[in-house]
Amino acid sequence: MVGQIVRKEILENFLSLRFVLSLLLVILIFAVSGFVFISKHEQQVQDYSKNTNQSLAYFQGHAKRLYWIATLNHQFYRKPKALTLCAEGFEKSIPNCFSFNAFSRDYPQLKGRTNALLFGFSDVDWVFIISLFLSFAALIFSYNSICGEKETGTLRLILAGSMPRHTILLGKYIALMFTLGVPMLLGILINLVIVISSKNITINTAGWLKIVVIVFLSFSYLSIFVLLGMFISSRTSRSASSMVILLFLWVGLVILVPSFGRIVSKTFQKVPTQAEMQRIVSELVEQMYQDSLAGKYGENASNAAPLESGICNPPARARMFNSETDEKNKIIERHLNQMTAQVIIGRRFTRISPAEIYRQACETIAGTGIGRFLELRRQISRYQADLKDYVRSRDAEDPNSLHLLYDEMYTVSLWRSISHNPVDFDTVPKFQERDLALGQSLKLAIWDIGLLVLFNLVFFAASYVSFLRYDVR
Amino acid sequence: MIWKIAKKEFLLNLMTFKFAVGAIVCVVMTAVFMPILVNDYEQRLKDYNENVAANEAELGKVKVYKNITPTVYRPPNVLSVFSEGIDNQLDRSEKIDIFGGSSIILEAEGDNSLLSVFPALDVTLIFKIVVSILALLMAYDVISGEREQGTLKLILSNTAARYKVLLGKLIAGLMTLIIPVTASFILGLLILLSSNMISLTGREWFRIALMYFASLVFVTAMFNLGLLLSCLSKSSAISLVFGLFLWLFLVTILPNSSAYIASQLKSIESAEEFSGKVKAVTDQLGSEINELTKDVKGSGDAADAPGAFGHTYYRLCEKSEMDSNRKKYSITEPVKIKYFDKVLGLKEVHLNYLVKQKQFADKLAGSSPIVLYENLMSVLAGTDFGNFKCFKNNVRTYGNEVADYIRSKTENFASTSYFTPCKEGDYEKVMGVLYKPVMDAKDKEKKAKLLEAATKRYAQILKETPSLNLQDFPKFTYQPQGIRETLQQAIPTVGLLIFASILFFALSFMMFLKYDVR
Repeated sequence: MVGQIVRKEILENFLSLRFVLSLLLVILIFAVSGFVFISKHEQQVQDYSKNTNQSLAYFQGHAKRLYWIATLNHQFYRKPKALTLCAEGFEKSIPNCFSFNAFSRDYPQLKGRTNALLFGFSDVDWVFIISLFLSFAALIFSYNSICGEKETGTLRLILAGSMPRHTILLGKYIALMFTLGVPMLLGILINLVIVISSKNITINTAGWLKIVVIVFLSFSYLSIFVLLGMFISSRTSRSASSMVILLFLWVGLVILVPSFGRIVSKTFQKVPTQAEMQRIVSELVEQMYQDSLAGKYGENASNAAPLESGICNPPARARMFNSETDEKNKIIERHLNQMTAQVIIGRRFTRISPAEIYRQACETIAGTGIGRFLELRRQISRYQADLKDYVRSRDAEDPNSLHLLYDEMYTVSLWRSISHNPVDFDTVPKFQERDLALGQSLKLAIWDIGLLVLFNLVFFAASYVSFLRYDVR
Repeated sequence: MIWKIAKKEFLLNLMTFKFAVGAIVCVVMTAVFMPILVNDYEQRLKDYNENVAANEAELGKVKVYKNITPTVYRPPNVLSVFSEGIDNQLDRSEKIDIFGGSSIILEAEGDNSLLSVFPALDVTLIFKIVVSILALLMAYDVISGEREQGTLKLILSNTAARYKVLLGKLIAGLMTLIIPVTASFILGLLILLSSNMISLTGREWFRIALMYFASLVFVTAMFNLGLLLSCLSKSSAISLVFGLFLWLFLVTILPNSSAYIASQLKSIESAEEFSGKVKAVTDQLGSEINELTKDVKGSGDAADAPGAFGHTYYRLCEKSEMDSNRKKYSITEPVKIKYFDKVLGLKEVHLNYLVKQKQFADKLAGSSPIVLYENLMSVLAGTDFGNFKCFKNNVRTYGNEVADYIRSKTENFASTSYFTPCKEGDYEKVMGVLYKPVMDAKDKEKKAKLLEAATKRYAQILKETPSLNLQDFPKFTYQPQGIRETLQQAIPTVGLLIFASILFFALSFMMFLKYDVR
């Protein structure tokens, strides 16, 4: 029986104007998005390899001796990812260049061809198309699924037969999901064909698996809107009212709630301004200077005279610089943590909207956006520890070194605080970004996926109960 | 007759469910958004005042003219609560570092660039989304709906001319839509004025009036668009579906796609390319200076004391060093000023790339009345690029003023006060008292002790060094775009919106003349 309803509903939907319009528009947008993505990705890959080669060549060219390896600042650029095709995650406005040595990290910077004047706009990726356009289409398909039949009088006819109400509801739900699934899958397919046809883009097996998960997430997201449409449709007796309510709900959930994120972030988490940070750092430097005068690190810590002069104190200077580096690192780290915490508060709040849950889940699965930024910072900090270990172990082999590891090129060079031995560049650990495996990504996205399922269950239950009590007259 | 139809339609509209929901959403959202936006503005104003005060305090610590590199701040714009524009995406400050040159180009979201992951929030958002959809909802069934109910036949069977019916419906629709727009504006203004940190100037009131007018023009255009759709189809369901898809396309898909496409079609200079160019200029500067000063000995910037604005200076300077540095600075600084201008020129070129890309995106999306309206509101609120450019020009002028000031105070950079407060003989005096015993001491331990004491005494001397008297130092004033320039920019867009309105209405009229009312 369900099959019969599904077939009838699907045929009816397929013949409607709304289906033709959504199909055409979805295919058009997905196709355009694919072409633009290819050109964007090519440009990014080009810029990335140029920058990375340059920075590697610089590192290799200068890092001939061990103390250089420890103290030389080198830069790492974020690699362009093929999966930004699905969820770009506003990477265009997230810092992409990390500068660090074995001891300290600077603020990550935003480099490349980014235009701050266009930050307010989202890239047209899958998440954008599905979360905005197809969710809207889902409402347009479902707003009159129950009350529309009541208005035309056919609902009475169906229910006059022996068919139970849940069968009708299920049939309509399956048919609607199918109707929406066709343009979505077709669009995605066209988009993928266009993208893969470019020789510069390759997607590995893990990438394909992630794409499959994202498609599943997309279905469960659209399902929320179909169920919402059916719920409102079975709460109202006129399809015009159902449309108005759904439209405003959609505007609220998909457009307004995400816009609230910034304000919520700013209200609930304060972040010091850049000027304040500069003041804090200069106060710290001043404090360190006073401390060194007061002899906190040992006598003559502030003196950088040659060893022979007898008035310098390398261990004290190492203590002073390590303490300064630690403090500066802590300040920068705390500031960056505050910045990310600020964004995360806003993103948590916006999770009251299924569109944001879906976006965040897709970003996590695709490994893009703010999550990737945090992960990169973690990986770089691990790499710094590795690099320091490497320097320490190689330094221990040199009897001429003072074995004092700290971040001041001048005295490290002058006093031989760190070994000056030549280094084979191939043995130096290099930083490589590691993508999270699908299992790890799923684990990170578990809350979002859970919320998507919860929304589905709630709206399903709501529409089921409403339809059971629906007055079909 | 027109008025009779308008009155009847107006009353009918007021009783509809969609009007009730739309108007309530509008007013409630203004009531919720506005206090948050005002609060945000107050915070920005507070930050601005703090930054300006901190800059003043730092100026008070300046010991030598060389170190005068103040930062100027762009005051927050109160009208950004109505339209944020690109105000938050552009840098709020600029360092006046004539002799160093800075490389900051555009900074997103001043304090936390990561916040760019959220879309902008302002009053324009309510209008462009909620009011535009309400306008479409009010208009989609104006003709097709009446046909379905059969009332259109009745009206037209009388002597009422078709144009009168259409005009009557237009007037009624507009009268209905004015209500939520006006209510939101009044409520928004009341909330804005209830803050004791905010007082609006006459110019700002005028701008708000213009924004209100622009909103009405926009609402008219959207209503006429709905009217056209209603006249195009026989069934209101079809005009609704068309209208909604069109709305979605205009409000989200077109602007975002345009920006996405523009970012690829109109290539910009990358940050690395820009810094490469700046580096080339500074390298050139370096070699020019080397060339000019190859016979001068002075050690230049290798100074011995921490100074204001994160710089250093010479507290103690030997006579010969003083002379050679004086000579050196008098040669190098005028050259540096020339290069500062070059770097600013490069920045302007880079900025132009970005602006052209944005303008290209706007052009691509220009067929959407919603995009036109959004840009219009940011022009009227003064949060568009034009005002940012004013800030940049002000900064340039101020940079020259600062340079002139320093020039006049330091005899064209040839005075020692430019780089040191040290007077002739100071060096020998202090060195003799403090460091000579250290040099003379034979015992290592004693030497270290004496050095420690000398370092402490020297720190005391640094503390006691008097600051410069900068009472007549030029003050930075930010002069935003005047009303005339704003109007010059806004009038074409308003004209376009009015033209779109008239075009939509004319087309509806043509379609309605041929409309089969059966």
